Amino acid sequence: MDVDPRQWENIDVNDKDIHNIVLSYLVHNCFKDTMESFVSCAGIEQPADHLEDMEKRKRIFHSALDGDALKAIELTEEFTPDLLENNKDLHFDLLSLHFAKLICLRKCTEALGFAQLKLTPFGTMQKYVEKIEDFMSLLAYEEPEKSPMFHLLSLEYRQRVADNLNREILAHANLPRYSAAERLIQQATVVRQSLNQEFGKDGNQLFSLKDFLER
Amino acid sequence: MGGVEHEDPPSKRVKVSSEESESFSNSSSLREPARCSLSDSMARPLESRGDDEVVGVKGVVKKVELVRIIAEALYSLGYEKTGAHLEEESGIPLHSAVVNLFMQQIIDGKWDESVATIHKIGLMDENIVKLASFVILEQKFFELLDGEKVMDALKTLRTEIAPLGVHTNRLHELSSLIVSPSQTAIDGTSDQRLRIRSRKKLLEELKTLLPSTVMIPEKRLVRLVEQALDLQRDACRFHNSLVEEMSLLTDHQCGRDHIPSQTLQILEEHSNEVWFLQFSHNGEYLASSSSDCLVIIWEVKVDGRISLKHRLSGHQKPVSYISWSPDDHQLLTCGVEEAVRRWDTASGECLHIYEKSGLGLINCAWAPDGRRIFCGVTDKSICMWDLEGKEVECWKGQKSIRISDLGISSDGKQLITVCKETMISLFGWESNSEKFIEEDHTIISFALSKDNRFLLVSLSNQELHLWSIDGSVILVAKYRGHKRSRLVVRSCFGGLEQAFIASGSEDSQVYIWHRVSGELILTLPGHSGAVNCVSWNPANPHMLASASDDRTIRIWGINQVNMTQNGRHSNGVCYCNGAT
Repeated sequence: MDVDPRQWENIDVNDKDIHNIVLSYLVHNCFKDTMESFVSCAGIEQPADHLEDMEKRKRIFHSALDGDALKAIELTEEFTPDLLENNKDLHFDLLSLHFAKLICLRKCTEALGFAQLKLTPFGTMQKYVEKIEDFMSLLAYEEPEKSPMFHLLSLEYRQRVADNLNREILAHANLPRYSAAERLIQQATVVRQSLNQEFGKDGNQLFSLKDFLER
Repeated sequence: MGGVEHEDPPSKRVKVSSEESESFSNSSSLREPARCSLSDSMARPLESRGDDEVVGVKGVVKKVELVRIIAEALYSLGYEKTGAHLEEESGIPLHSAVVNLFMQQIIDGKWDESVATIHKIGLMDENIVKLASFVILEQKFFELLDGEKVMDALKTLRTEIAPLGVHTNRLHELSSLIVSPSQTAIDGTSDQRLRIRSRKKLLEELKTLLPSTVMIPEKRLVRLVEQALDLQRDACRFHNSLVEEMSLLTDHQCGRDHIPSQTLQILEEHSNEVWFLQFSHNGEYLASSSSDCLVIIWEVKVDGRISLKHRLSGHQKPVSYISWSPDDHQLLTCGVEEAVRRWDTASGECLHIYEKSGLGLINCAWAPDGRRIFCGVTDKSICMWDLEGKEVECWKGQKSIRISDLGISSDGKQLITVCKETMISLFGWESNSEKFIEEDHTIISFALSKDNRFLLVSLSNQELHLWSIDGSVILVAKYRGHKRSRLVVRSCFGGLEQAFIASGSEDSQVYIWHRVSGELILTLPGHSGAVNCVSWNPANPHMLASASDDRTIRIWGINQVNMTQNGRHSNGVCYCNGAT
């Protein structure tokens, strides 16, 4: 079922809304300079001063992304002291990033020591036991990148953890976890798919954002 | 290994082949590495010693194998010297020199050497070598961890175990163990896999991993003997007593005297034809019913004597069917086309009467939870009541015809009734699904086995058919020999593991068949009227009861030395008011 594109003409879109969407995206991803530039070009009001916070958040995010987890943890503790305390999953994920880094650097003894000190205390809770085992298994291989657990050393994994950290920090500051743009795309997709299912006789391709945008 | 402490290396068993017997010395395990060159040639075991020589009448037992397992048996029993002597005298070594070396290395904890040796033992495929190496290196790993050599353990893990590429999950487990060797599971029980096992146990596991031609499995001879005993027992047609009797010295063959065949008691309480009887599930009671409208509960004493416990009167019609509750505390009795009564076993009191106005009930059964009962009705329907008499459900239609048998399947989900003359229905009373057993002749009665997986159907053509009803319905066996033309004659399962089928007969005898072979093994004369029903005591394979038109019940047992002279013990006289 396809919406008649002409129907779009009937909907007015407010410029202000679009500004907010762009702004929220930039703030979410800590593009501070771009944001400042956009704000002055578009002649809109600077949002309440999250600038300094954005800068800090950016550094935290990038530390995590680079695998420099200890630094990320330190900065997070400084910025939002209770965050990791209250968010054990995240704390564990960050520590495991550090472990992964040591493994990549082939510093096995250090990795072992770090694991014993920092990771095993999580082992009292069942949900972490499997994760710990997965990470520990990296120790068994001389070439961990070729082991069955290689994904734990990957950039994708670090990305995921860094994203999580970012979202938690935003939530802590009472800002939205997801940027408006993300939410809009998600909403459109879900609605489209749900309509497809209901009226789903024709062809029934899943909603493809790419195709949609290229129209 | 027959009393040898696991600390001692079995030094005497690890020795060189007989060729070296000249230098055979009592003390020791292999020390000289020079043997290794000889061991290479020994890697192909047992060539030219008359490998094909056979022993025994049938010519299937290879001498070399026989001697080897005898030697293993001797060592297992702890007879080191004799074992060694046998190897020497026969010229057949238990294990080749390479294998002996290997075993010694395991006991001594020389892991790397043993892994190397494994590769030298020919005859094995790559995978087995890897699996065995894994197990050996795992032991090395644990011993290092135990000795606090964590980095060495890690090194072993990375450089020796991981490259094998087998048992990946176990590999990961071992990794975790490095980090937290004393990790206990959440519920506090300490993890089995962490304990180092002894090297002896390691050796035993290796024996199961490696092909048996390379290393004889532990206690192989004993296992063969056990298999033979199992086969003898299965083949024994009269087998009705427990296994302690089996001896290795003669083939096991029970005589008839383990099957109840002597009348031990005659119970004469009923004043008319005895139609039905059944032992309770725990074998402590016997209930009988008669056309004199009476039901009697008998008690089975510890010494096997039966005495009267309660006379249950109340029915106005002959009582044709009895059903014990699953816990034996209660009894259901059914008067023909009349009512069903529920009684308390201990007190003999009638707890409830179930009736359907205008109709009569023809059979009864308990639900497995003991809280509901099923009854067949003269209008061919089946009703389910709770204990208080409230009707819970009723299935109409042609469910149960005028034959007083009703059963429940093993999973408690199917009601078994005769729904047509030649058809039995297995009715799933919750799911409303139905399966059928079809026969070619009119069905007279049926009985369920103790585990409710088999159904024994009695037919008008004087045959008993055995059906398996667990899952799909299959005819398993047929039994013939007894006589039945006019009356309802019942049969039952019985004996040790329900290995026998018994049936009444119109020629006044009790018939007993061996269930698996179908062979008629005994007929028991004694009654002077048709035998209507038989019941085998579920708790005592040597006790069988039969009910007859001659108004008596006979208790059959095995030949006892101190029976009274004429074998009769009249019971009714002393206990006239039912007291025990």
